[in-house]
Amino acid sequence: MSTILTYVAIQNGSPSRASLEVLSHARQLAQAGSGVCAAVVLAPGASGVANELARYGAQKVFAVNHPAFSRHLNTPVVAGLEAAIAQARPSLLVFPSSEGVKDVLGALAVRTGAAVLPDVASFVVKDGGVEALRPVMAAKFMARTRAEGDLVLVSVRSGSYEASEAPTETTVEEVAFSMDESTLRQTLREIVGSTAGAVDLVDAQVVVAAGRGVKDEVGKQLVEELASVLGAAIGSSRAVVESGMFAATAQIGQTGKVVSPDLYIGVGISGAIQHVAGMSNSRTIVAINTNPDAPIFDVATYGIVGDLYKVLPILIEEIKKKAVVVA
Amino acid sequence: MDDKFDCIIVGGGVAGLSAAMTLARADAKFLLIERGAWSGAKNVSGGVLWGTDLNRLVPNYWEEDGAFERFVNHRRLTFMDDGAAFTLDFKSDHFNRTPHTGLMVLRSRFDAWLAGKVQEAIEQSTHADESFIATDILVEEVLMEGGKAVGIRAGEETFHADCVILAEGVNNLLTRQVGLQTDYVPADGLAVGVKEVIQFDQNVLEDRFQLSGNSGLTNEFVGYASGGVEGGGFLYTNRDTLSVGLVLGMVDLRAKGLKPYDLLNQFKQHPAIADQLRGGEVLEYNAKVVSTGDMSIMPKEIFADGLMVTGEAANLVLNAGRAIQGMDYAMRSGILAAEAAIEAKKAGDFSSAMLKNYRTALENSYVMQDLRGFQQAVKVLHSPEMFTAVPRMVCDFGREFFTVDNKPTRKAYKILSDARKQHMSFWDLVKLSGRASRAM
Amino acid sequence: MKFCVCIKQVPDVTAPIQIRDGALSMDAGRVVLNAYDASAVEEALILTDGTDGEVDVVLIGPEKATETIRKALAMGAGRGTHLVIPEGTELDSGAVSHILSRNFEGHTYDVILTGKQAQDTDAGLVGGMLAERLGLPYATNAVGLAIEGDQLVVTRQGDTGQEIIALPTPCLVTCSNDMNNPRIPNLKGVMGAKKKPVDSTPLAEIPRSTIRVLSYEPLPSRAPGRFIEGEPAEQVAELVGLLELS
Ligand SMILES: Cc1cc2nc3c(=O)[nH]c(=O)nc-3n(C[C@H](O)[C@H](O)[C@H](O)COP(=O)(O)OP(=O)(O)OC[C@H]3O[C@@H](n4cnc5c(N)ncnc54)[C@H](O)[C@@H]3O)c2cc1C
Ligand SMILES: Cc1cc2nc3c(=O)[nH]c(=O)nc-3n(C[C@H](O)[C@H](O)[C@H](O)COP(=O)(O)OP(=O)(O)OC[C@H]3O[C@@H](n4cnc5c(N)ncnc54)[C@H](O)[C@@H]3O)c2cc1C
Ligand SMILES: Nc1ncnc2c1ncn2[C@@H]1O[C@H](COP(=O)(O)O)[C@@H](O)[C@H]1O
Repeated sequence: MSTILTYVAIQNGSPSRASLEVLSHARQLAQAGSGVCAAVVLAPGASGVANELARYGAQKVFAVNHPAFSRHLNTPVVAGLEAAIAQARPSLLVFPSSEGVKDVLGALAVRTGAAVLPDVASFVVKDGGVEALRPVMAAKFMARTRAEGDLVLVSVRSGSYEASEAPTETTVEEVAFSMDESTLRQTLREIVGSTAGAVDLVDAQVVVAAGRGVKDEVGKQLVEELASVLGAAIGSSRAVVESGMFAATAQIGQTGKVVSPDLYIGVGISGAIQHVAGMSNSRTIVAINTNPDAPIFDVATYGIVGDLYKVLPILIEEIKKKAVVVA
Repeated sequence: MDDKFDCIIVGGGVAGLSAAMTLARADAKFLLIERGAWSGAKNVSGGVLWGTDLNRLVPNYWEEDGAFERFVNHRRLTFMDDGAAFTLDFKSDHFNRTPHTGLMVLRSRFDAWLAGKVQEAIEQSTHADESFIATDILVEEVLMEGGKAVGIRAGEETFHADCVILAEGVNNLLTRQVGLQTDYVPADGLAVGVKEVIQFDQNVLEDRFQLSGNSGLTNEFVGYASGGVEGGGFLYTNRDTLSVGLVLGMVDLRAKGLKPYDLLNQFKQHPAIADQLRGGEVLEYNAKVVSTGDMSIMPKEIFADGLMVTGEAANLVLNAGRAIQGMDYAMRSGILAAEAAIEAKKAGDFSSAMLKNYRTALENSYVMQDLRGFQQAVKVLHSPEMFTAVPRMVCDFGREFFTVDNKPTRKAYKILSDARKQHMSFWDLVKLSGRASRAM
Repeated sequence: MKFCVCIKQVPDVTAPIQIRDGALSMDAGRVVLNAYDASAVEEALILTDGTDGEVDVVLIGPEKATETIRKALAMGAGRGTHLVIPEGTELDSGAVSHILSRNFEGHTYDVILTGKQAQDTDAGLVGGMLAERLGLPYATNAVGLAIEGDQLVVTRQGDTGQEIIALPTPCLVTCSNDMNNPRIPNLKGVMGAKKKPVDSTPLAEIPRSTIRVLSYEPLPSRAPGRFIEGEPAEQVAELVGLLELS
């Protein structure tokens, strides 16, 4: 009986939304193939989240407890997952895609001789292999891609699946893991500009994204105010990350993050293919741009041709009045 | 000083690449500089490459794939008013013979392909490592010494050569910088070309336009096509796309305050066109200035000490209703300029006296002979009747002549004369047709 | 320090590309140096500038991909290695890293750079795979690099902030294009590149890929959107109304 293992990322002490989405899909696949749905958690005190994971159908939770996992560093994570795989013997290991996961996927695949499908939009188990749809060419197309092997690693773009509860009994298996951090060849000196704790862009239900059209502090404040009245996370295009106006963690797109909120509002963003690559999955897309020919309008649900400096103030007021907001 | 080139070519369009190919074949040491990220990146044509010169540059090009979209074996000329379209249709198997006399090309593909061929030629030449095609670089200045062109400047860098061939296209800043073109070019010598490339399923396209194998259809339009603005429309079949566009007189456009893009959409919505475009998906839209073929805007001279001007930089374009000819002129002028440079190299003399050979050769070629010969035609074509009264008249005639109802049928000449009366005076027509027949 | 940058020739994703019976079709001419690799080359050039350091590049690709090596040489890289495969050969990241790792046996580089991902496949695997095969410490998604003695200090764009990681050499780093803006080669660079050494060797055997593309498909189409007309006030009013419904 085969095991489908889901890697659960811990954020501020609890499983990330993206992890639960992936776990939910993994559970359905396991049921369909009468396999076991299991989760693996790398964290100090990993077993703490077992009950939460049980609610989403994790029949087993493999807990790799180690202080090394209090901050991300690839070597320990690869080793920890290697140990978990040795113990859980999954046929499939599913990850919610993130920079942390991208940091270890390649090495882990080689280490464990696994085939790997990174950043898929969807995947199924099919005649002894895994078949996935992967956005390619800056998400211009989908590539139907097939992987074969005793172990297949799959990382899933956020928002590809709905998180759904299906409570079950769960057993926690501690994974024996030891590592002398002093032997690590690389050292993490510090983490700067950390946004840990804030609404994670990737998990956000509403995103307000700013582009080069936002020219100054005034514009930036408008964007921030709109975000706060909407309870939205702030995203951005590369142009305004480059200019230093917004943090690199806010960058949405091929180089940046992939978001799929219920509502994305693009403000002064042209909609270059590499940006759209990161947001075209959003449910409702609103674009505010002075240029009616801006490509962002090709993907927008609602397009407002107008000056953000004129439109935003009114929009902010209107929303304050309403106070009821989507989703 | 950097080691000197025999020739530096500015511009990697049709003219520049044709010159380059000719130089490479003659074992010359040259540098071609294109500002686009690759040859073709910035270029727009309808486009049909007329004539057979391509076979001189790339013998048996038709055996290559990627060279061209389709060859012309079916031509149409359509007169339009707002409701009707009256078409002359000509198809002939003589078009099928190679080398073909007309090729549909998409510039972003064609130029890149031709550049590849030039690169191959360079590698086979004895200057494999000293001749270059350099892209993504803008030439900002032609270096002059004592009235002689001696090289170019791009950014901080300068390069020297015995002669410079300007193939920079219609936006001929360098030709102006060296003083061959006046800074102010009267707008009535210029038109605006707008064009869309529209994609279809290849089978749909081939059925709809009766294409077989590589054969293709050209259709020129006069009248309503240009929304009453001086100019005309075109529709060319590519492999699995259509090139549809308008060429609009700049002056008239300004005077009427109309936008090319709007006119193009209006054109596409005309019943006769809409039916042909059904189910297509627009891939790209371009707009570009193009010369009308009015020789009065040509540079004062197209050669000078150490310098030659080719292609549309010299406004070598003819748009006399039958077709837009610019690429073929560019190709021929590029070839002739290169040949002049090669002679000059043999003689070790790059003075204007020597480079005059280029001018002479161009004068003796069909290029200048047609350009001179068809000046009248250009004028006629750009006379208001041509894109207003005449097409309406023809369509009125068509409407009545081809309508079979239960009324007594009138003789064709009666219909025609009525149609004519409605739209222009008898004398206008006589004058026009007189001028036209003389001009064509 | 001695750098080697792994570079890939990719189709220009901004070029018109269509799907024809499950396969991608585009103009052969429209290929470029993977933007992430260009940033890696740029960074290596900056770090070695004015030192006795060297920057080599290695590429696996068909004959015509030499032009991409020339592009990197034109930027300023010193030497190129071209591992030639037949036109149209499909390699997954595993196979690529396998070939590259064999290529690095017998070389002694202080730093191997790759792009964070290939612009066409967006896989982002080769770097980590190659590091693992070579047993090198590595960091991914670098947005900044600095040399400190015989260490390489990497600024890595993580999920919640920028991680400053110190790596001993030899090591491997995958680069983001947010690291710099790659220089456009000048004419002298373009010309010099032609004279720089490129040793190209056809690949004897090609490792099998464990993942393969069955077909390419269009994206699931979005419901057509619409413009909201009117004065800003009217536009906003209508928008808010529409959002409440959805
Ligand atoms: C390999 C690669 C990866 C990349 N990855 C990413 C990525 O991950 N994310 C990303 O975003 N980009 C990425 N890019 C960059 C991308 O190509 C674009 O350059 C970038 O997205 C442009 O950002 P922008 O839309 O803010 O700026 P612009 O393209 O300059 O657009 C600014 C827009 O603001 C509008 N505007 C101006 N003033 C106003 C006003 N007052 N009111 C309203 N609108 C106004 C303008 O009409 C214009 O449309 C990548 C590029 C490459 C080559
Ligand atoms: C809408 C439209 C339809 C047309 N249809 C047809 C048709 O059907 N048949 C036909 O024969 N002709 C047609 N033409 C005309 C034809 O496109 C031109 O006459 C022809 O392209 C001229 O070729 P050229 O090489 O002289 O100039 P171009 O093709 O314009 O090439 C000039 C090149 O020089 C480069 N360049 C310019 N300045 C610099 C610089 N300073 N440094 C470096 N590089 C530089 C440009 O990037 C460009 O690549 C059409 C034109 C238009 C606009
Ligand atoms: N064919 C190749 N030749 C050389 N390097 C490559 C090749 N393919 C990928 N790479 C390197 O691996 C990086 C990531 O590729 P990928 O894992 O395919 O996204 C690229 O940015 C390159 O640096």
